[in-house]
Amino acid sequence: MRRIGHSLIISGVLCSVLAAPAMAQKVLQLPIRTDGPKSLDPVEGSTTYDNMACVQIYETLLTNKYTDPLKYEPLLLTEMPTSPDNGKTWHFHLKPGVLFYDPYTYPNEFAKEPIFDGSRTRAITADDVFYSLKRLADEEYELENWWLVKDTILGFNEFKDEQNAAAEFDYSAPVEGFRKISDLEFEIELTQPVYRFNYVLGMFQTSIVAHEAVDTFGDDFFRHPVGTGPFVFESWTPKKDMALVANPKYHDVYYPARDEWSSEDRRRRLHRPAGKQVPFVDRLEFMMFPQDQPMWLEFQAGNIGYTQVPDEFFPQAFDKRTKELLPDQSARGVSGHSDRLLDFIFRGFNMEDPVVGGYGEKAKALRQAISLAMDLNEFNETFYSGLNVVYDGPIPPGLDGHPEDGRAAGAYQGPNLALARQKMNEAGYPNGEGLAPIKYLANRGGNSPEQTELMERQLARIGVRLDVQLVDFSTLIESVNKKNAPIFSFAWSSDYPDGENNLALFYGPNEAPGANHYNYKRAEYDALYERILTMSPGEERTAIYEQMRDMLLEDVPYIGSMARERHYTINEWLLNCRPTERYYSWFKFLDVDDSKRR
Amino acid sequence: MWAYLVRRVLYYIPLYLSILLVVMLMLRVNVDSAIMVKLGKNPTPEQIELIRTDMGLDKPFLTQYYILVKDVLTLSFEQRSWDQSVPVGEMIRKAIPPTLMITLPSLAITATISIAIGLVCSFNRGRWLDRGLMILAVLGMSVSYLVYIIIGQYFGASVLSQEMGVLPFEIQGYEPVIGPLEGESSAGLLNPMNWVKYCMLPVIIGVVVAMGYDTRFYRAVMVEECTRDYITTALAKGASSKKIMFVHMLKNALIPIVTRVMISLPFLIGGSILVEYYFSIPGMGRTMIDAINSKDFPVVQATVSVFAAFVIITVILTDVLYALVDPRVRLS
Repeated sequence: MRRIGHSLIISGVLCSVLAAPAMAQKVLQLPIRTDGPKSLDPVEGSTTYDNMACVQIYETLLTNKYTDPLKYEPLLLTEMPTSPDNGKTWHFHLKPGVLFYDPYTYPNEFAKEPIFDGSRTRAITADDVFYSLKRLADEEYELENWWLVKDTILGFNEFKDEQNAAAEFDYSAPVEGFRKISDLEFEIELTQPVYRFNYVLGMFQTSIVAHEAVDTFGDDFFRHPVGTGPFVFESWTPKKDMALVANPKYHDVYYPARDEWSSEDRRRRLHRPAGKQVPFVDRLEFMMFPQDQPMWLEFQAGNIGYTQVPDEFFPQAFDKRTKELLPDQSARGVSGHSDRLLDFIFRGFNMEDPVVGGYGEKAKALRQAISLAMDLNEFNETFYSGLNVVYDGPIPPGLDGHPEDGRAAGAYQGPNLALARQKMNEAGYPNGEGLAPIKYLANRGGNSPEQTELMERQLARIGVRLDVQLVDFSTLIESVNKKNAPIFSFAWSSDYPDGENNLALFYGPNEAPGANHYNYKRAEYDALYERILTMSPGEERTAIYEQMRDMLLEDVPYIGSMARERHYTINEWLLNCRPTERYYSWFKFLDVDDSKRR
Repeated sequence: MWAYLVRRVLYYIPLYLSILLVVMLMLRVNVDSAIMVKLGKNPTPEQIELIRTDMGLDKPFLTQYYILVKDVLTLSFEQRSWDQSVPVGEMIRKAIPPTLMITLPSLAITATISIAIGLVCSFNRGRWLDRGLMILAVLGMSVSYLVYIIIGQYFGASVLSQEMGVLPFEIQGYEPVIGPLEGESSAGLLNPMNWVKYCMLPVIIGVVVAMGYDTRFYRAVMVEECTRDYITTALAKGASSKKIMFVHMLKNALIPIVTRVMISLPFLIGGSILVEYYFSIPGMGRTMIDAINSKDFPVVQATVSVFAAFVIITVILTDVLYALVDPRVRLS
């Protein structure tokens, strides 16, 4: 018995010693609110959660800056793309030494040996960039993200039509606008100078993939990613968790330099690891949370690094009035951070509707009256704990064209009941007389029924009645796309940080089923939109943005606007964390201090 | 008995085929909405056509029906989920074990405890013990399942973890208890600690919720048995209360007990939607509700067909069990 006891002690000590290196591993646990990604193939991705997972494994040519996410910097390039002809042709120089890394064990059901000619790595080339962009045109992927490059690259539309009509999609077929100069240098010529093309190259759907991986894994490529990113794939149980490990062959990417950080960020010591090679952690684990309570409890228990603070838990972490972190949270080492989202939350009018639509003075007055009767601040206080930002115009805070302090002269922002009633008179409906209930469609989920009740109450004050139809999301989309929704509730989250993205929502040719759900058509507006497409950021372009915004404020094709402000809490053991939802490839900058874990 | 079984199976085949037909018809009433869910706000007509073909919706209805029946007969379910892009059969195979790890123990524990309480209550009916237990049962029934889950997660996991520095239960996720999941490595075949960590809290909550209903049911059954002549005879003969309860009464009350337990069996596969959803357990209940929410028709069809098959099999088995527990029942 004694001998057994000794053996056990010795075994225990040995196990501890042997286990020591494994324990030194830095493991970072992060939450994904909801079920997580549906696919790890960038070309099939569309949701925030696809983005969040994909960009840890794959990389784009450009990316947002961690220190200022509204700006871009090169990621797979040596420098920002240059254009010798004011934005029609773009010249790119790929960073040397960037390798795809194949992390799988072999043999497996897909291959006998590593996929790059028996090797685990291969350097990326210009051909990989062309191949990845061509995948957007392949009908096999249902053209889910074709809209990103449609009508943009010279000869690309023709390439798409020809290849999809052919018996087999030929990725080696040329595209007029793609010109390879060398393995690391290439040019892309556009149909016309389009400034937003640079933003597209920073979107995760245009991440660079290796054709060998797509060919090898076939239909299962979406769960067998092979990329150049800071992490490589280890495992994924859909709707549950995902594990990634640090890429042993990751190229030279360094933590932002000290002078790139604002003084506020430096005060929070975010600059500390400046200049160090990333990633810092050995393993990244995502946990999916379809419900908020488990996520919040896991954060409180210190098991996840940071979390968005769900609205219902906001008072547990922040003072509702001052929005400062509560003392008990600070005492536990938790820190807070907030970030405004590029949201445009609105209620739209169908401009082709015989009652609320049209550009005549009476129809316009009716829409203005409805807008003036609405009190968005009451919505904000009632349903969002006052956390949202109410503003005028379609351009969210932080972007060119957003009015100073969120207020624009000439906006018909309520509540102004006196003016609203006057407008009702001008519209020919004094106190709502003669106006039949107007059909209003909204998603039936969440607190939408309660929000609709508040809207009905507010509009009743000027005699406007609603014929409310709460429907599921697909029915709502279908009705809007078929122009059957006189008033509808929708929201838009900017694809890239440029007001042009929101102004495109009112561009005539984008009418439903396109993104112009309002079917707003004004030749003057369309002409200005076509002009800004080719302009680079600057005062002149901003002035046009404001002119377009003011046109919309006068015509009132929507009631709005609101943007969410996201609040985060960060556990003490998570270092370098400055959460943002503008992009997600910043997880590589995070580090952990296990000595501070509870 | 075999002739009876064959007759019953033959009787249920057209019923089962009709169920499949009705499910398919219902799902195809507004098939465009499923396409919209997949394509988002601004699909082009070209994309709609592409995805219609990709989803197999361009095929004649009868062809689609034939594919489903074939999938059910071969248990293959090779069609890919529209939402997850993996074969439906693979999804179901992976979803059944986590569900069974929660529902089987829940059913066994609930039935055992409820029957015991039902016996004790009936034997002491009208006394303080009976009244007290019944008040508790009604209280248990009156509180929403969701409240138990929220309180259970808060105290069972978070408070224990923070105050005591131990984390006995996970409130999120699931790790296999028996054998590894496909494509995952595992140290051994049996991981009982995984059950304690991931399943025990949901099982406790499930038992607490179900006990209120079951206890009242079994008490009613037992009270009725108490009034039978054989109980009076046994009492007159001087049989002990233990013997009367656990030998005579239990044996004679087996028909309603078997009925109740057998009715619960299909739900073992169906899973508990709320528990699986709130604990992020990738079981059948969650798979089914996610599929309904995302209009993932292949998964909805497959899960409903599996569920319907289990219901039919259970009904047939119940008849057989009746004959086994009560010699007066003859299967002919």
